[in-house]
Amino acid sequence: MKHSVKLRKPLLKQLKADNLKGRIIQSQPIWVRIFHWGFAISLVVIISTGLQLHKPAHFLALNFSKVLVAHIVFSWFALGFLVLRFTDALIRKDDSLIPKIRDLKHFPKLMAYYFFLRSSPPPARKYNSGQLLIYFSWFLVFLLASFLGLASYWQGEHLIWVWHLVGGFQMIRWIKFIISIYFLATIPVHIYLSLTEDISRLQAMVTGYERKPPMKNESKNFPRIK
Amino acid sequence: MLSRRDFLKLVVKGAVLGNFSQLITPPLAKAVAAGEVHKLPVVMIETGTCTGDSISLDNIWTPTFSDILTNILDWRYDWIMNQVQGQEAYGILQETYEKMPHEYILIVQGSMIQRDNGHYNHVGYENGKLITGIELVRRIGLKAKYVVAIGSCATYGGPVSGYPNPTQSTGVQNILPERRVINVSGCPAHPDWIVGTLLHLALYGEPELEKFGRPKLFYGETVHNRCPRRRFYDQGIFATAIGQKECLFRIGCKGPVTYSDCPIRRWNDRYNWPIGCNTPCIGCTEPGYPDLMSPFTSHFPDIPFPGGTKVNTDSFGLGVLGLTSVAITGHVVTSLYKGRIQKNLLKTSAKTNHRPALKKAQAFHKYWLKKTNKI
Repeated sequence: MKHSVKLRKPLLKQLKADNLKGRIIQSQPIWVRIFHWGFAISLVVIISTGLQLHKPAHFLALNFSKVLVAHIVFSWFALGFLVLRFTDALIRKDDSLIPKIRDLKHFPKLMAYYFFLRSSPPPARKYNSGQLLIYFSWFLVFLLASFLGLASYWQGEHLIWVWHLVGGFQMIRWIKFIISIYFLATIPVHIYLSLTEDISRLQAMVTGYERKPPMKNESKNFPRIK
Repeated sequence: MLSRRDFLKLVVKGAVLGNFSQLITPPLAKAVAAGEVHKLPVVMIETGTCTGDSISLDNIWTPTFSDILTNILDWRYDWIMNQVQGQEAYGILQETYEKMPHEYILIVQGSMIQRDNGHYNHVGYENGKLITGIELVRRIGLKAKYVVAIGSCATYGGPVSGYPNPTQSTGVQNILPERRVINVSGCPAHPDWIVGTLLHLALYGEPELEKFGRPKLFYGETVHNRCPRRRFYDQGIFATAIGQKECLFRIGCKGPVTYSDCPIRRWNDRYNWPIGCNTPCIGCTEPGYPDLMSPFTSHFPDIPFPGGTKVNTDSFGLGVLGLTSVAITGHVVTSLYKGRIQKNLLKTSAKTNHRPALKKAQAFHKYWLKKTNKI
């Protein structure tokens, strides 16, 4: 037989808080989340339209002008989200995405963990060395691809030095293709690890809050929700 | 005399009607006869070449090439056109170099062969010594009024500089960095492009050049932008094999990355052009041709690996993605086997310290009669 006891909300909250595992802290501010999902959606459109423009699929009879327009528009969106993230990082003085030497020193240990030679990952700042390398490289190659895209969009009217440096339209196209392959190879790794390593971090990318292990010497009665 | 604006109009009109030389020659011949224009002294040096550009130049239909030689240009030295040979012919080149400095136009056809100081390409014999192509082009080029490189080989190295480039061939601009070289690229260059550039030089001086040193009036737009099959591309209707009438993009057409006015000028007296006979553009006017444009039926060039193996870019991309898929699948299986995924999920997803335990509460029992065999 089901019995239901009605408790007052503050009391219920307190009971839940006492029973919560670890601490809940704000991990991803709103602008980071907006950037993450906005950039992710834009990138999906950019890569899929780019591949369609590169090699039209048999089963799709798409209007190519519209595909090109979508490719360019979402590239601008992605750049906008990137600027947003950059500004946010400047305002908050957030350097969590910039790899530092001390981060990279942990890289071999991290690889040992991923190859099952260690039972736990090495200590890290907000992001581990592998994440830092991949995220930072994404920023760089995306900026490079956007720049090359701009050069090819202007068809040699502007940024002529880029054409000379790279060696022509075909090379610009080739580099952009290789960059898209890099994204296509690393994004699944990112998704896989975010689903299987620490699911609460994935939750943080939606709600903003993440569960962390309890701090040492933490009192039981200490308020845990921050 | 024709104004520059009228000349540019004739370039476009001639491309559309297919009679550029016919349109341009009468006013020009009049101007030459009236003494308004001096006949341009021209010398042509052939280095590492198949002479295809000379053959292409011969294909001017009306007026004939001989009309141009007689009325418009002072064609002084050219292996194909020379009426004399040996020292007598070479003497004309030397005379032009010595007596007409900064007056003549140097046309170079063929790539600059640099291996072993250019000794795989001898183009002259002087005082008992063989003269290399790079030596002669540098010497004559430094005193020329204009230097014009015609054909893919002279402009950017072309097929001669193709992988693995055993002769270390390159374009004229690389061995004449002091001079601005006017590039009239193409494999071969269209006769209108060559004659049009020479006429512009004679009448108005150097034409406006685009990013790779080519005259904008011929190389200002991509083949793709002017292609008569562009509507098929825009609608996503593609040929799946050579010989079909739709857009040839899917079978490797390089029109989107190739700058030239082939779609409106066409070839062989405007009779046809590659896309007109249902084969893709191979991008012969672009730097990096043919390495960056081959295989001609594929969008991207093959990637060379040590040992001479070449891998198609698309296959390379698919290989990388396949490797990633295999790696992730292997990691998932190992993680499940070792219990890492289960542990991580429990550690990071359990909301509370004490999970509520469920106890089965049976409220009532149901009893059913057993089926028994009746005796």
